[in-house]
Amino acid sequence: MANNIWQAQLNIEAHTLKPVELTLDHCIKCNICVTACPVTAVTDLFPGPKYVGPQAGRFRHQGQPSPDHSVDYCNGCRVCNMVCPTGVKIAEINGRARAHIVQSGQVPLRRKLRNNLIARPELMGKFGQPLAPIANGLLHSGFGRFFAKLLLDIAPNAPLPRFSGERFSRWAHKRRDAVRSDRKVVYFHGCSTEYFEARVGKAAVQVLEANGFEVIVPSQNCCGLPLLSNGEFAAAQAYHESNIRHMVDYVKQGYVIVGTSTSCTLTLKEEAPEMLAYHTPDARLLTANTFDIHEFLVHLLDAGELKTDGLRPMPLTLAYHPPCQYRAHRLGRPSTEIMALIPELTIIESQAACCGVGGTYGYKAEKYDITMAVGKPLFDFVQQVHGPIAVCDSETCRWNIAAATGVPLVHPIELLAAAYGYEPEGPLAEVMT
Amino acid sequence: MNSMANDVLVIGAGLAGLTTAWQASRHGKGVRVIAKGWGATHWHAGCVDVLGYWPVDSETPATNPAATLPDLLAANPQHPYALVGLARLAAALGGLQHLCSDAGYPLVGSLDKNWRLPTAVGAARPTCLAPATMIAGDLDDDTPMLLVGFKQLPDFYAHLAADNLVQQGIPARHVVLDLPALAGRNFTTAVNLARFMQQSDFRAAVAQAVKPHLGKAARVGFPAVLGLEEATAVHQDLQVQLGRPVFEIPGLPPSVAGMRLHRILKAAIEKNGGQVHEGMEAIGFAADGGRVTAVHTETSGRPRQHRYEQIVLATGGILGGGIVTNHAGEVCEVVFNLPLRHPENRLEWFRRDFLDKQGHPIYRSGVSVNENFQPMDGRVLYQNLYAAGSTLAGFEAIRERSFDGVALATGYAVGNLVSN
Repeated sequence: MANNIWQAQLNIEAHTLKPVELTLDHCIKCNICVTACPVTAVTDLFPGPKYVGPQAGRFRHQGQPSPDHSVDYCNGCRVCNMVCPTGVKIAEINGRARAHIVQSGQVPLRRKLRNNLIARPELMGKFGQPLAPIANGLLHSGFGRFFAKLLLDIAPNAPLPRFSGERFSRWAHKRRDAVRSDRKVVYFHGCSTEYFEARVGKAAVQVLEANGFEVIVPSQNCCGLPLLSNGEFAAAQAYHESNIRHMVDYVKQGYVIVGTSTSCTLTLKEEAPEMLAYHTPDARLLTANTFDIHEFLVHLLDAGELKTDGLRPMPLTLAYHPPCQYRAHRLGRPSTEIMALIPELTIIESQAACCGVGGTYGYKAEKYDITMAVGKPLFDFVQQVHGPIAVCDSETCRWNIAAATGVPLVHPIELLAAAYGYEPEGPLAEVMT
Repeated sequence: MNSMANDVLVIGAGLAGLTTAWQASRHGKGVRVIAKGWGATHWHAGCVDVLGYWPVDSETPATNPAATLPDLLAANPQHPYALVGLARLAAALGGLQHLCSDAGYPLVGSLDKNWRLPTAVGAARPTCLAPATMIAGDLDDDTPMLLVGFKQLPDFYAHLAADNLVQQGIPARHVVLDLPALAGRNFTTAVNLARFMQQSDFRAAVAQAVKPHLGKAARVGFPAVLGLEEATAVHQDLQVQLGRPVFEIPGLPPSVAGMRLHRILKAAIEKNGGQVHEGMEAIGFAADGGRVTAVHTETSGRPRQHRYEQIVLATGGILGGGIVTNHAGEVCEVVFNLPLRHPENRLEWFRRDFLDKQGHPIYRSGVSVNENFQPMDGRVLYQNLYAAGSTLAGFEAIRERSFDGVALATGYAVGNLVSN
């Protein structure tokens, strides 16, 4: 296909090597991104991706103050990247601009403290999960929320998750010899599965094992995305380097990494290397061998290797929101392709751009109202579909949609695990009985 | 819920690609559209230009495309319209009109007549089909008009358009509104304004502000911001409130009127079970035995393969990004590296004057196809590959004003071909 050098160069360019800021030269000022931006649509505080990204980018230089602080109102959903006809990496330009503001000390201390706390789910998990009943009580009490707002400017109604009673990695460790196979995959659980929703990891392991894989759960850190999106690049790079150290040897043995958190897998594949301009050979190995779980299952399906026989029917009609962080993988809708295999299950896809939460964005008092306004069309859609549960791949979106609608959310892999006959936990268990 | 069969993969989501997918999905084919981003539909005026000028250097617009097209076809038998034939062109126009009517957004016109509608600078623009929201701007009618601008919308200069119309003998005045609802803004966009227009209290404020300036105006023109999903209702409500015909003037991209067509076509494809994915750039392919076996798209990790029975290339020409050029004088089709018809010598790419009435030869570059829209290099290159829209060679879309007509007609033809 690449039968002349020029074409080959185009292909390489399209992959990894194009420095983020240089893509702003591809901007033709057509404003399509502005029409698609869900934040611009609801607030004047954010003039739009073109203005704060490629346009203001021309006036940003190292060692000089940022000309434009409205870039901090970008929620990182990447819808702009998806609709850009010329391939400008707008969201990444915005992310790096925010980091520049953070590094040059232009963020007030209270907010910097807050951002550093909510951007460390691993730290919160390590302290909070062992004391789950107490921590949950405190985090979800009016008293706790009052002080979180007072001291740290955390939105009183922020869709914070609940710590789970059991750490996922403990469960995985206990059953590590359950299945032995030459076909192995590495599972990246991320912080949400480890500390808040172990049931997602269990479902993933069960599905992979049912397809004949031995699942390795290595020691791992937070992927670093919350730190990246809060402009704390040095701390994010420390996490990313640690994850590479923990996992790259498995990749070198020929095993791939599979994750259930769409934003974690996007970070391992692309966000960390691009935002940090961190393109070591090991980082590239990780990029080339990390899969979202449904991306991986679609590969198996295409190769005729996915277990599709004897699936339990699921007579349900459910709303599914393909999260913006998943669409940003540019894979289409792999989860929809897999859910379509489950007999009697009707999935109605949302057309909404974004749920609004943007990872930690919606936890911030000054941004909470924007989050809710961005998410409103999606919340309305979920309530119209009126299923007993709704489906979404990304954890912070699940928590946000559930908090806004009162409808419990599950990860699509939980549906497949249940269709395989495994005992569901959480909201799905109540629906299936 | 059943998976759709992998019947037709369409690369590109402009008017040609979406029309192909709409037609194929209408015939029950399992269709996937992949596109690098949004494009042509967001850039064009939301009308269907079929043939505005012929010969291309003509000073006067064609008044009747149906009467002029045979001359074009006789002079240029390689023209995409010649491959489509006038009957299929008419069927494509009728099909789109039907689809848009069903969506509550009628497109008005026929092949027998070009409208002359005002542009954002007050020039006359020949076009074949226009949304009902634009028709009252017809410049064959010389009744007085009032043009309404918004202080916060920098993309529409009401005074400029009005001055130019007056010079052409159309009595036109202008007013620029500074509404309290927009007072806090330095600027707004056409899309945001279209969303505001869908709120009844905002429309009432607009009507109240316009009324004192109506004078003898028999019709009122706005930039094309009269609603996105609810354009017909917004348009009718303003006509009632102002007591006279109201029309829209399309302006700078992104075009709200173009986005309406995008929404209608995308909804039709999805209703028929098709998928439309943006942010998916085709970067390569695999072939075997004279067939394309897979198309590869760029993703966050590694290329994804799409295996489909039939493949339609609708990535556009040089303007749309389907064909790229470089300083070394190479002209290249970006997905399949197909052989192209283009000026051999780089010195022949452009004429001396930017606005030369003959147009620039480089913009006629494109893929040569047979009567079944299969790319050719003396012989058919791949049995299951087709091309539609501005990717095709041999027409002067800019001077002819034939972008939309060629996109629609070839997309319609290919969508039906791959369904047989």
